[in-house]
Amino acid sequence: MAIVSFEKVSKDYLTDGQRVHALDDITLEIERGEFVALMGRSGCGKSTLLNLAGAMDFPTSGNVVLDGVTTSALKDAGLTCLRREKVGFIFQSFQLLHTLTVFENVELPLLLAGKPKARDAARERLDWVELDGLGDRYPHQLSGGQMQRVGIARALVQSPAILLADEPTGNLDTITGNVILGLLKRLTRELNTATIMATHSAEAGALADAVVRLRDGKIEEIGRR
Amino acid sequence: MGRLFLFYRLMIRPLLKEPVRAALTIFAVTLGVAVVLAMDLAGNAATGSFRASMETLAGDNDLEIVASGGVPEAIVGSLATLPYYIRISPRMEDSAVLADSNQTLPLIGLDLVAEANADGGGRALVTSSDKTFETNEDTIRQLQKADSIWVGASLGKKLGDRVRLLINDQVREFTVRGVYPDSNGSESAVVMDLATAQRALNRFGSVDRILLNVPEPPALDEWEQRVRAILPTGVEVRAQGTGTIENRRMLAAFRWNLQLLSYIALIVGAFLIYNTISVSVVRRRPETGIVRALGASRNAVLVAFLGEAAFFGVTGALFGLPMGRLMASGAVKLMAATVESLYVSSRPGAIALSAWSVALAFVIGVGVAVVSAYSPAREASLVSPVEAMARGRREYKTRVHKSRDLLLALVLAIAAAGASRAPAMQGKPVFGYLAAILLVAASALAVPAFTDAILSQSSRWLGKVLGVEALLGSQSLSASLRRTSVLVGALSTAIAMMVSVGIMVGSFRETVLIWMNDRLPADLYLRPAGAPAPDRHPTVSLELADKISKLPGVAGIDRLRAYEISLDGMPATLASVDLSAFRRDNQSSFLSGRPTAQVLAEIRDSKAVLVSEPFTYKHHVRAGDSITFSLGAARPSFRIADIYYDYGSERGTILMDRQTMLRYLPDPTPSNLAIYLMPGTSLEAARNEILQASSGYRVLLASNRDLRAEAIRIFDRTFAITYALEAVAVIVAVMGVAGALLALVIDRRREIGLLRFLGASAGQVHKQILVEAGLLGLLANFAGLALGFALSLVLIFVINKQSFGWTIRFHWPVAVLLGAISVVYAATVLSGLYPAQVAVGLNPLEAVHEE
Repeated sequence: MAIVSFEKVSKDYLTDGQRVHALDDITLEIERGEFVALMGRSGCGKSTLLNLAGAMDFPTSGNVVLDGVTTSALKDAGLTCLRREKVGFIFQSFQLLHTLTVFENVELPLLLAGKPKARDAARERLDWVELDGLGDRYPHQLSGGQMQRVGIARALVQSPAILLADEPTGNLDTITGNVILGLLKRLTRELNTATIMATHSAEAGALADAVVRLRDGKIEEIGRR
Repeated sequence: MGRLFLFYRLMIRPLLKEPVRAALTIFAVTLGVAVVLAMDLAGNAATGSFRASMETLAGDNDLEIVASGGVPEAIVGSLATLPYYIRISPRMEDSAVLADSNQTLPLIGLDLVAEANADGGGRALVTSSDKTFETNEDTIRQLQKADSIWVGASLGKKLGDRVRLLINDQVREFTVRGVYPDSNGSESAVVMDLATAQRALNRFGSVDRILLNVPEPPALDEWEQRVRAILPTGVEVRAQGTGTIENRRMLAAFRWNLQLLSYIALIVGAFLIYNTISVSVVRRRPETGIVRALGASRNAVLVAFLGEAAFFGVTGALFGLPMGRLMASGAVKLMAATVESLYVSSRPGAIALSAWSVALAFVIGVGVAVVSAYSPAREASLVSPVEAMARGRREYKTRVHKSRDLLLALVLAIAAAGASRAPAMQGKPVFGYLAAILLVAASALAVPAFTDAILSQSSRWLGKVLGVEALLGSQSLSASLRRTSVLVGALSTAIAMMVSVGIMVGSFRETVLIWMNDRLPADLYLRPAGAPAPDRHPTVSLELADKISKLPGVAGIDRLRAYEISLDGMPATLASVDLSAFRRDNQSSFLSGRPTAQVLAEIRDSKAVLVSEPFTYKHHVRAGDSITFSLGAARPSFRIADIYYDYGSERGTILMDRQTMLRYLPDPTPSNLAIYLMPGTSLEAARNEILQASSGYRVLLASNRDLRAEAIRIFDRTFAITYALEAVAVIVAVMGVAGALLALVIDRRREIGLLRFLGASAGQVHKQILVEAGLLGLLANFAGLALGFALSLVLIFVINKQSFGWTIRFHWPVAVLLGAISVVYAATVLSGLYPAQVAVGLNPLEAVHEE
């Protein structure tokens, strides 16, 4: 059963009174354990698709079903709960809170959800991303690669069903980027989560189990290995 | 022109995109400017352009002859025999109350025949500064009738109207024989013939003042000498208006203190401008870097940020002008009431918005804005283009300077302690205010360390108790330490002012209550009806006093008498108590701490007097010193036996035994009576008997309790304006917190958006912002209480003492302070509602995507 499915999904935006079709009639299913790369030119709809998959936004038409729950049937509070339970986000620019330590950044989603033993979970996730021992540092005391590992640990702390990564290697050098991609792929397998990654990188695409090519808001091609 | 356009595009246009925040900053400046302007305008109207009521219709004369207790009428004759052409205008000057409306007016008695003939049989009756009232011989004849008066046109009376006037304790009926234009009431008075006035006031054989109009040459000094040569001892000649100048001098400290108090709101506003420009500098750091990289000089950056501050200043001043004018109308009434109850009967002048006032508003608005913005603007100009892109460095700098600032705060606090021990400068507590400013500065420097210590210690604990939102809120405040410190500094300064003035007024109130217990030993007090004023001493009929003293149940009465005198260029009150009468003295209220009976025995029928505490301060005398002043036709010296606490008037009082006073001023009529009842006599029954005995007299009878309640009512009214000024400062600070929180939200939109990505609900974001507002309020309250306590010590023991000479016992008005602080705290938390709403309304996708 698909962990996330898009059923005839379209998304329009109004920009300066003009309707812009960001996504147009998208139908797509992604299974647990799948590592999917979304590729295409800037503005083709990669980020919009990620936002819909992460219950951050509603489709204009069609349905996004996340682990059996149709997102458009929920209100803000319901979406928040769904995100907390099912989704982990990884960002291009890491998006760490500079005022918090590594531990505090990682455990933040658990604290927001009011869950206990947050520190233990954070310690474990940092272990997974090979950052054990750096939990008391602040983000500015880390390298770019280490910051992105913290971002991944934070995304995994709730044991999400789906990981959404928007250009996770976009701010990293090639070697570090490849290490991060390897890590993501390994964790996707080991944790049986689904990872959807928006990327421009051919190396990233080559590592993925499936590559979804988007063009002007439509799926141009789906290549599965 | 091009640069102006660039300035608009880079600095002003971004402000227009945040209208609420820009409006809050402008409103803070507006309020600050408005309050200072209002106090300046009102102060000028109520005290600066002060004219004693008795100057009404005094005209433009050169010299005046005065004496304590009145100028012997015979002197008019002596002056008339001088071989010079001098215009001589003897005057009776007192007050009358319109019995039907209770309006108190100056009562002026003039020698109408002489006045009418002054221009060689001409028709000028009364000459004021800008008008001459014409009349004819028939009118003059009418006016000389015993019931004739002239009144000002603003009273709306017509010729022939009958008017009932309360003069001393008697109501008499008079007929309006003339109406004169009185400049919309500013020259309003009841004018009567000199003889009629003497009869009505029951003061025969003397006049209150003789005005002299002398030709030139010779010079005025020469005329003064010529006139002085024929005057008996105790009678003085001086330039006309000296009394007004003396009163203005007396009012100067009052005005000065109020004016300085009005600057509090401006100081708080300065903190907020500093904060606004700091926010602007931090937020535009990348743009600054780009502009610098494109060729802008450091000076251009500096000028741009100062220009932004000047924009706030100019706009605030523009709005502050009309608001200040409006506030002045309310302030002048409160000020005039205080002047009337504490100093002298007077009329506030018109509020005049002069070119100077407009300039003042702009100088204050723009000046404060630019000065307070200088530091962040300079920092912006010093940042290199590369550095401008680095985040977090600025907060790091603040953390590094914390210890240095704390040390500097300690040095300033020690300097404040030193300044508070310095004496007054020309009667003004300059060093007291310097100490207060140093304390505020010390507090501002200590706030970052204090804030950091509290936040770092409490954030984990807060997180456990109030949830992750509190942890995030406190971490966020701690991370923006500089901005947090400025906000805490601004709000705590406003709270400190509120606390310090609250403690000072509360202590003063408590002191007055204790003092009244000591000073009001009698059971009942009687005085002529009509509004009281420190310089008005209407008298009670002698027969009435005798009648009351013989009533059954009355153990005795103390006939108190008071006169206005001038001493060392300052007005003062000369009063007497009847030490031969029955007395029931309370505890000591003397600085020496000696028993009352012992002190009073020393001045009984002797050349020893007591003086009030404010008197010693104004005239620089101590117990044991000797003072000399004109008294009737003599100029005796008296030894100061002791000094008594007096919070009833700020004028300064000399108190002597009635027998001693009668020796110099033989008028036995008392100004008021203190009535002692026999033990076991019912107060109500005695009151009824006295009121019955007083039928036919217009007097006010008050029990000891009534009198205390009235005194406290006047006391509270006196400080109403102080509370209003504090409220404005607090409003400015709370608005500043709202604006700053809004800025914080806008600055942290990425972070807030991210929290939504990480699973934060709208309620959690809302709660975080409110927790931040609550934490700011809490920190400010702690800092404000500490600073307020220190400032209250300076206010009570330095500024008050050096300005007014009052000894105030320290007292914590706990209930008042708790109430005020709770209100401010609630307002601070509520000020977070709008920013919290804005935070919730942010689109997380946009916020995160922007990065």
